[in-house]
Amino acid sequence: MSEEITGQVRTYVTDNIPITLISQGAEAVVYTTPIHPYLPIDDSTKGEKYIIKYRPHKRYRHPSIDQALTKHRTVGEARLLSKLSQIEGLQVPKLIACDVYNGCLWLEFLGQDLPQGAGFSNLKNFLWMHAANDPYSNVVRETLLKVGHQIGLLHWNNYTHGDLTSSNIVLVRSQIVDGWEPHLIDFGLGSVSSMVEDKGVDLYVLERAIMSTHSEFADKYNAWIIEGFSNVYKLQGKAGQKKLDELLKRFAEVRMRGRKRTMIG
Amino acid sequence: MVDLNTVSPKDPAKRYYLALGLEGSANKLGVGIIKHPFLPETGAAAKDNSHDCHVEILANIRDTYVTPPGEGFLPRDTARHHRNWCVRLIKRALLEAGVRDACAELDVICFTRGPGMGAPLHSVALVARTCSLMWQVPLVGVNHCVGHIEMGREITKAKNPVVLYVSGGNTQVIAYSDHRYRIFGETLDVAVGNCLDRFARTLKIPNAPSPGYNIEQLASQCKNKETLVELPYTVKGMDLSMSGILAYIDSLAKDLFRGNKANKVLFDKKTGNTKVTVEDLCYSLQENLFAMLVEITERAMAHVNADQVLIVGGVGSNARLQEMMALMCHDRARGRVHATDERFCIDNGVMIAQAGLLQYRMGNYVKDLSETVVTQKFRTDEVYVSWRN
Repeated sequence: MSEEITGQVRTYVTDNIPITLISQGAEAVVYTTPIHPYLPIDDSTKGEKYIIKYRPHKRYRHPSIDQALTKHRTVGEARLLSKLSQIEGLQVPKLIACDVYNGCLWLEFLGQDLPQGAGFSNLKNFLWMHAANDPYSNVVRETLLKVGHQIGLLHWNNYTHGDLTSSNIVLVRSQIVDGWEPHLIDFGLGSVSSMVEDKGVDLYVLERAIMSTHSEFADKYNAWIIEGFSNVYKLQGKAGQKKLDELLKRFAEVRMRGRKRTMIG
Repeated sequence: MVDLNTVSPKDPAKRYYLALGLEGSANKLGVGIIKHPFLPETGAAAKDNSHDCHVEILANIRDTYVTPPGEGFLPRDTARHHRNWCVRLIKRALLEAGVRDACAELDVICFTRGPGMGAPLHSVALVARTCSLMWQVPLVGVNHCVGHIEMGREITKAKNPVVLYVSGGNTQVIAYSDHRYRIFGETLDVAVGNCLDRFARTLKIPNAPSPGYNIEQLASQCKNKETLVELPYTVKGMDLSMSGILAYIDSLAKDLFRGNKANKVLFDKKTGNTKVTVEDLCYSLQENLFAMLVEITERAMAHVNADQVLIVGGVGSNARLQEMMALMCHDRARGRVHATDERFCIDNGVMIAQAGLLQYRMGNYVKDLSETVVTQKFRTDEVYVSWRN
């Protein structure tokens, strides 16, 4: 399948732009390219990498649903990324260019390879790497608190992610201190929303993702994330505390409903 | 390594197991009788053969409680239907299967313990207990969802697929890992079958053979397949939500019947002519709902790196859903979609017998009648799947 899609993308971006496949998700394929769409190539940009995220056409769904979804999701993601990049403290990839009708986004490349061949530096691989020796080490705690902080900032500003999993959180080595800076990526299902329901679902999706991949240490990991999350709200004083209580209450409700819903059939 | 032969057949000379399955969690009452040969390849030396037991189906009878158009089935009336028919169906099944002496020949009686509607579950469980005491045959309580999965695996021989379970009461994407069928994504409110059933009720189309089937027929008669009526598309990560879609399309259907010209989606602004028919609504609803289902299945496949999908449950017999899923599987990993026809897709007794017999062969059966109390809430991942690696 990926050859067909890569063929599609090649004809679309032309031969002038070399692409390398790095990941194939359910909804989009992601390539890296050394070419910046509008900056001249000179020594300062040499060696830089950029991301091309392409949403291929899905044959299984009706063309009008497909077109509407591709456009809607690409436009939504582009708009969201540009708005999120203006929030102070929130770390998301920078948007470089987009072509919504063809479902293509050009983004800043984030992350690197983890030491000891543990793979790409997303949260999932990072936790796995640490699970082997010291699952509750300080660096894990610090990182998860920061992850919670990022999600807190996102929610406090009334945005939701929609598909918050441990592979959608990329860690970048910090320039200032020894540690990792989490960045949220893949806002394909993200939205502007002030509803506690959406935020509760976001937290629940992440909790479940952590539980399914790191079940042994999940309780503590999730507690740290929520701690980091709560700190953002608590900094906002009384109003923040009120919103936080409401949100956590709904989060508990979503968890109950998701796991214990009665089913008939 | 799984040894499926831990319990030997009742009469070791016969070299096979015989199981009776009773299903009555919703409006279908099903009785099935199956035979598993006692095979060395399912024994101690086997690796993982629970999807290939060489099952032989001796009887598969079903009686559906059908309500008039525009009405759903109520628990009390459904239970009454099950009580009326259960004994007759069992007698017919035994006759069909050629079982003369149930007491001597049956190895195990399997019944649905949940999830489902309380009253119908109770009435069938009562019959199961009675038969068990009368014939001195052990009982096994089966999770309905696991029954669907095991039947689908046995029929299609799919070893480790991602399972899409879609029926009137359930919508789940399931993948097996570490002795559990884990739920990856599911509906946050109503099930897809329920959504279709309730829309059929609004349209007042017949409930026989099933409302979903009649919607499928109407959808295939849609003349204008190029344009869809735009409906909400509500995938939430791995989960989906369908109540909003139902409410919206219900309101469209009601406006259509009432001739509410103010509705610009249905009626032309200038001429006042109808732009949309009932068939168009059915077609759009199906396309929209199934696109959502296929999308979350694809997500799960990407997550666990699978290339096969098994569709089970009543809605799984819909040809359009199977077609869409096949396209997705092909494009994704040159993979295959496994689906069964209505005999095994729609609730039946055979599937309960299949899952129950596997459980029995692992030595897990009811030791005390207090374990046979049915439950309306019974999650798929609560069952410990001892018969798989």
